[in-house]
Amino acid sequence: MMLQDGSTQLLCLTASSGVPLFTRGASKQLPFSVIGSLNGVHMFGGGQEVVLSSCETEGGGKVVWRVFQDSVMLIAVSGGGHRAPGSSKEEEVCLQRLLENVWNCMVLVLGQDELVNVRNVERLKRDLRSCFSLIDQLLEEKQEGILGTLTHCADSLVPPNPSLLQEAVDGFAQAADSEFGCLIVHGRIATATEKWWRLAPQEVVLLSALIRSLSDSGSASCDYPVFLPQGSPTVAHRLLRFQLLPGADVCVLCGPTPSLHRAETGLVGRFWSPLVETLRDCLAVGERCLPGSVSLRPGVLALLLINRETRRSVSCVRTPPHHPLGDSPSLSKARCWELLKLFYIFSISRYFTQEETPCVSPEERAQRGNSEDFLLGFSHQPQQCYLVTEECKSYGLQTAQHQLFLLLSPSVPTFALRTAATQTLSDITAATGF
Amino acid sequence: MSARGDASELASFTADMAQVPPPGSVVVSDWHRCKDSKEYFSKVLHKKRRKNFGLLESPVMPPHVAVDTVHYKIFISGKSGVGKTALAARLAGLNIPNMHHETTGIETTVVYWPVKLRESGRVLFFRLQLWDCGENALRRFDHLLPSCKEQVDAVLFLFSFTDRTSFDDLSNQIAKWTESSVGRVVKLVVGTKFDLFMHCDVSQRDVRDFQETWSLPVLRTGGEVSDGLGDVAPLLNCLSENLWHQDCVTAGPAGQRSQQETVTVL
Ligand SMILES: Nc1nc2c(ncn2[C@@H]2O[C@H](COP(=O)(O)OP(=O)(O)OP(=O)(O)O)[C@@H](O)[C@H]2O)c(=O)[nH]1
Ligand SMILES: [Mg+2]
Repeated sequence: MMLQDGSTQLLCLTASSGVPLFTRGASKQLPFSVIGSLNGVHMFGGGQEVVLSSCETEGGGKVVWRVFQDSVMLIAVSGGGHRAPGSSKEEEVCLQRLLENVWNCMVLVLGQDELVNVRNVERLKRDLRSCFSLIDQLLEEKQEGILGTLTHCADSLVPPNPSLLQEAVDGFAQAADSEFGCLIVHGRIATATEKWWRLAPQEVVLLSALIRSLSDSGSASCDYPVFLPQGSPTVAHRLLRFQLLPGADVCVLCGPTPSLHRAETGLVGRFWSPLVETLRDCLAVGERCLPGSVSLRPGVLALLLINRETRRSVSCVRTPPHHPLGDSPSLSKARCWELLKLFYIFSISRYFTQEETPCVSPEERAQRGNSEDFLLGFSHQPQQCYLVTEECKSYGLQTAQHQLFLLLSPSVPTFALRTAATQTLSDITAATGF
Repeated sequence: MSARGDASELASFTADMAQVPPPGSVVVSDWHRCKDSKEYFSKVLHKKRRKNFGLLESPVMPPHVAVDTVHYKIFISGKSGVGKTALAARLAGLNIPNMHHETTGIETTVVYWPVKLRESGRVLFFRLQLWDCGENALRRFDHLLPSCKEQVDAVLFLFSFTDRTSFDDLSNQIAKWTESSVGRVVKLVVGTKFDLFMHCDVSQRDVRDFQETWSLPVLRTGGEVSDGLGDVAPLLNCLSENLWHQDCVTAGPAGQRSQQETVTVL
């Protein structure tokens, strides 16, 4: 089941006539004839009242189709090759998520009207170029430890001093005529206004991705027009972002006022200068995402904890990996992140039902039908699952409120996994209230 | 610093009021190469690279060396793909994107640049905030340009040496910023992609003629970024010089830039 990260190519065509709009990803582009056939076979299905949503190629590759708003067709093609058999379901989950994210990011940048009411294909093609930055970021997924585009839960960081920061975010947003504000540290949400959490989970995740890319560029502040794929697909809002310290950005979503210049000169210093040290403490939490008050049990290599209610997640990989004497050579950090991601996909595609998201298409619901059939084979809903491989042991656990995915060192006895998982969950929730 | 020095500084300002000061007449050019600049430049460097300051930070000098910081807003103008985002990154010592990804809104970048005034010997930190807005975003959203124009002190007009139309369009662009409504702004022209001489579409002669017609400084940029400051110093010094000169002219001979002047936080 442990698939390698193969290269993925993304195709975008008009749904009605199959005119190619763009392709991204994979250095070697698919030949035009293949693109035409991929579109053709989907159209053929349509004529027979069959929705073709995915298929597997002989070489172990995978193709996933999806039409959005009857206007745009997205196709994701992943080159298989070196994957182990049986990994196809996991891959499909990833590609489906990818298509959904790509569509949302097209709406975020261009707005729904332009995508749905296409008057001039050439113009649309040109305008779509402005989405490439975000789309390429989705395809590359280069930042370790960011899982939101997959989980559709906001990557979060639990600050050591949440109440001070919460107050500042609330006050700052209000002063900027906005109800939507958030503080992002190391690419993860440290605090946000209540309204920010009421945005659709996909929107929160996508905005985080946008803010991360702006933050990585090293710029000091931004004023970006954004459409909200669910909340405001046809009217743009302004995303203002300010780099308080390198790695710490505060953002608000607002209307016509205040201007970037005014917000920056009038508000940033007023609200945030008194909190420089608090922000530095927050930056010091780093990629661990959890404050020092939470100590993880020995043997824990990595974890992903999801709060199902708030749609937030924290994740971390132990560095340097903690390994007791006589243990096999430790896994690299990158490999730990990869394994954590794969175990998450493994668990949710086989055992744990996915959270219902507001924008599930009929097609995707049909998709999920398949995995639900599989789940119906059980007389009950699985609440825990585990997987033992040569590299590590993994344990998944779900309660009404949380899902925990834990990677442990192979030296931890299998019978102790369950205790380790339940303990870890209660340790974190008790210390942080996450 | 002598009384005589100050007087001649003032004299030269009154003589050619709104004119562009001759290069190096107001600020010491190549000061980053002088020994006495080290203690100032070290505050904007970190491990031989430029330091990235958050909005809550600024270069900090020891208590006995009080240095004033002067703030300016600079708008970067030019068509899509000309190299606005790349120039902002270059001037700030940030990674230059090698792919063209359209900028879909306004992004500002802050550059701290220590400058020594020629006549008085006074040292200042110039805080240059570069405003970069993607050309297609400007066209799609009406509110962006007014925001870029608000209280702007200077405009960099970009053209690419590999794109003739971008050069030919300069006069139109400059004319738009000469209307009285805009107020007084420093104007500089920057030719990008000077390194791609194989594809050069604008000759040295064209540039000279242009310079004579408009009497605006024209600078060139392009190529690999060296780890030193040499490739950005001419542009940053020229910009600082013109900004300072404009302030002195605006405020009158005895004036000083009072608005927004801040003392470096200790
Ligand atoms: N060789 C070379 N390439 C450059 C130079 N400046 C920019 N480029 C390249 O030109 C392309 C476009 O540059 P950008 O800075 O992204 O263009 P822009 O003006 O910001 O474009 P918009 O955001 O769409 O308005 C990028 O691939 C840059 O790497 C240069 O001086 N030399
Ligand atoms: Mg740009």
